[in-house]
Amino acid sequence: MRIERINNGIVIDHIAAGKGIEILKLFPTEILRTKIDYASYIDSPRMGMKDIIKIENVDVNHEWLMKVALLAPDLTISVIRDAKVVEKINPTLPELIEGIIKCRNPKCVTVRETYLPSLFRVARMENGKLKQQCQFCEHIFYS
Amino acid sequence: MTESFDFKGRHIIDTEDLSTAEILHLVKTADDIQAMGDKALEIAKGKILATLFWEPSTRTRLSFEAAMFKLGGNVLGFSEASTTSSAKGETLADTIKTVALYADIIAMRNPLEGSAMAAARYSDRPIINGGDGAHLHPTQTLGDIYTLYKERGTLDGLKIGFLGDLLFGRTIHTLVRLLSRFDVEMHFFSPEGLNIPEYVRSSLQAKGAVFSESEDMNGQLAELDVLYVTRIQKERFFSEEEYLRKKNSYRVDRELLEKAKSDILILHPLPRNEEISQDVDDLPNAGYFRQAAYGMEMRMALISKCLGLM
Ligand SMILES: [Zn+2]
Repeated sequence: MRIERINNGIVIDHIAAGKGIEILKLFPTEILRTKIDYASYIDSPRMGMKDIIKIENVDVNHEWLMKVALLAPDLTISVIRDAKVVEKINPTLPELIEGIIKCRNPKCVTVRETYLPSLFRVARMENGKLKQQCQFCEHIFYS
Repeated sequence: MTESFDFKGRHIIDTEDLSTAEILHLVKTADDIQAMGDKALEIAKGKILATLFWEPSTRTRLSFEAAMFKLGGNVLGFSEASTTSSAKGETLADTIKTVALYADIIAMRNPLEGSAMAAARYSDRPIINGGDGAHLHPTQTLGDIYTLYKERGTLDGLKIGFLGDLLFGRTIHTLVRLLSRFDVEMHFFSPEGLNIPEYVRSSLQAKGAVFSESEDMNGQLAELDVLYVTRIQKERFFSEEEYLRKKNSYRVDRELLEKAKSDILILHPLPRNEEISQDVDDLPNAGYFRQAAYGMEMRMALISKCLGLM
């Protein structure tokens, strides 16, 4: 499958093969109304196989990016303007993430007192899983 | 010692937020306050402690309130959720912000895990966590550490046994985590299925703590300096039959103590069910009522320090 060049927008590259579909699910609806190219399991010299997503006429939104980084920490994001890469973003996983992950412990204060920002300490484990610890109730979740 | 420990304005949410030096300083402060006798009544004169208890815990609340009265301060608060504005839908944040206008320091218990940390975000007055659900109960733990110092003089070299339900016993988990910073040996005795949780075990392993686990105390009882007993609740067992069969193995009485060191110290966070026979109460080994008093004295130290009065 051949992915077309875009003039304006972003390219999310080096997504672990097969993970692209999960990233697509994170897209806010306004992004889903624009043109998206998505290719899965394409050859990559660096990764063996990878997924790639191109989105036309969209700006990078910080919170959304962080969600993407949580799913696929190795990806790169290029911002394209007038057919040129003007910015490369490596969404590195911050140690503390505020307001994106929801605590799944029903007894956690953040579940009942919903105005509280969620606060998670995250770490990538050796097996590739993401360890997420709620800083309020200290429950640990893996994804 | 010239090191100063300024706790003024600080929240006490989790014992893990305290350095070992700070914990030893709190122990010393508790001692210093007791040595002041009636002069301690001047320490918090004119100050107000709010005890906000969204779930009833008479024992902890009375301990906080007695601590404040013994420092010469005043107390206000509520002792169950149904009498509070939260029953009318007020948020935790709003309750805390309002109470912080009335009180100089707040001790709280709330069934939601992480509630004390949440409260601290909305309070410019010190918050002392009096228990946030099944999560943390730092003042109990600090009181237990103070008890060990008062009763034994030092923690170094102590062999401490923990008996009973070690899975659901929140006080055990925080105490064990804190004790693993000291040079102690820990031995866990619990019915199958009620062992210490995996996260406690792995944290002990990570810290290189010396510990063992078994179903009964045979063989090890004679070595112990301290036996910390926890409540055994019927509903934790698979069946009534199993409970009846096992409960006696986790019960301390005079007969059992014959096999222990003559000066073994028996502790229990109280209230107790049948885990400690009443015939033990009169022995000098029975430390559990003194433990409650030390808990209150530690709370006096915490209130004084967090208000910047000591
Ligand atoms: Zn949580």
